[in-house]
Amino acid sequence: MKKLIRVTVNDVAHEVAVRPNQTLVDMIRYDLGLTGTKNGCGEGDCGACTVILDGTPVNSCLVLAMQADGRTITTIEGVESGEGLHPLQQAFIDKGAIQCGFCTPGMVLSAKSLLDENPAPSEEEIREGISGNLCRCTGYLQIIDAVKSVAK
Amino acid sequence: MSLPEFDFHAPEGVDQACRMLSDYGAGARIFAGGTDLMLDMRRKRISPEHVISIAAIEELKRLDFAPGMLKIGGCVTVARIVKSKEIALKWGALCAGAKALGSCLVRNLATVGGNIVSARPAADLPPSLMVYSASLVLKKTTGERIVSMDDFFTGTGTTVMAADEILTEIRLAEPPPHSGAGYINLGIRNACDINILNVASHIVLDRPGGVINDARIVMGCVAPTHVRALAAEKLLMGEKPSEALFERAGEAAMKASSPRGSAYSRASAEYKKDMVKELTMRTLGIALKEASGSRS
Ligand code: FES
Ligand code: FES
Repeated sequence: MKKLIRVTVNDVAHEVAVRPNQTLVDMIRYDLGLTGTKNGCGEGDCGACTVILDGTPVNSCLVLAMQADGRTITTIEGVESGEGLHPLQQAFIDKGAIQCGFCTPGMVLSAKSLLDENPAPSEEEIREGISGNLCRCTGYLQIIDAVKSVAK
Repeated sequence: MSLPEFDFHAPEGVDQACRMLSDYGAGARIFAGGTDLMLDMRRKRISPEHVISIAAIEELKRLDFAPGMLKIGGCVTVARIVKSKEIALKWGALCAGAKALGSCLVRNLATVGGNIVSARPAADLPPSLMVYSASLVLKKTTGERIVSMDDFFTGTGTTVMAADEILTEIRLAEPPPHSGAGYINLGIRNACDINILNVASHIVLDRPGGVINDARIVMGCVAPTHVRALAAEKLLMGEKPSEALFERAGEAAMKASSPRGSAYSRASAEYKKDMVKELTMRTLGIALKEASGSRS
């Protein structure tokens, strides 16, 4: 049976009717129409579905929509501010860290969470911070460069 | 692939969760971090009628450093274990196990309790927890009991837990002076993989530079459950640690293991056996370093 939940996504409060067996990534994509969050493997391996849930980056394919009741989510659409792209997004463009772009939303959110917690990470810490996000195109080096360029 | 149909419940406390579990019976499943359960449901390995989420229950999220004792709530995430300075200092092998689990994203969801209860022989936390002689608090509507982790696993995916019990707490006594422990896992990459083999070792010296008073070695992926290398442990007792001694212990552990080759990792049984010796030696080396170092 569907149940009404309340979630705040990118600073906007929503009420959404969700099914018990609906994943958070499906709710975000199909009910809220925020298709920046990707559904890749659906099993927690690729990180394409990364969102920030109450300040913590998670695989939204492993979370049930109903678990998000009363909580706060940031998706890639919420990273950009009124002044334009987030510095990380700009850095990804400048450093050629995007090819097909499928991994990019997840990569940016993981990198953002890392820098929010640790503004001056070592290369090792950057690699660790994006270890849950797979990229089939870039070979990662440009992505690491992009994150480095924004880090202090 | 979509998930099977079920009813979702989010009880407010452990008592209510226990009541739901006993009311719904065999058709109910506990959802902690979800990192294993979601996969099992998606692949239709299980199709519960009721999913009871305990992830938001506050009392299960407590990480409590009581004097002489560490109490980890069943739903403490693996990421919190990685971040705890106190755990890194006193229970280094547990910290190493936590760091090896999944990816940083998965660790933000995965719980300590879930990694134990799912009873997978490749799981990252049980070897270290077992060498630290962890005990588990199991709760149901009619009361609770405490089980040693040594007696917990009965096979791959099976444990001594009854269908209406919930793992609420993991207890670890503070390691004695002059003790140390190490954990190493072997996989095909550093994140998001399944271990080919994992070993944890723990030793206690009678005094700095002295002889080994107590030893525990636990191996994963070499049998249907995590197993202790009892012969290797025995051989260490009363001896002065040395490379030659650790090599003999590694050989004893190797003899006691009966791994199967795995299609997933393409690691043969022979390779795994050789690596049991190697990882036993190396984890004993880490344990010795810690036992002789700052914490003693
Ligand atoms: S879609 Fe969630 S991790 Fe791949
Ligand atoms: S840019 Fe294509 S997957 Fe990363």
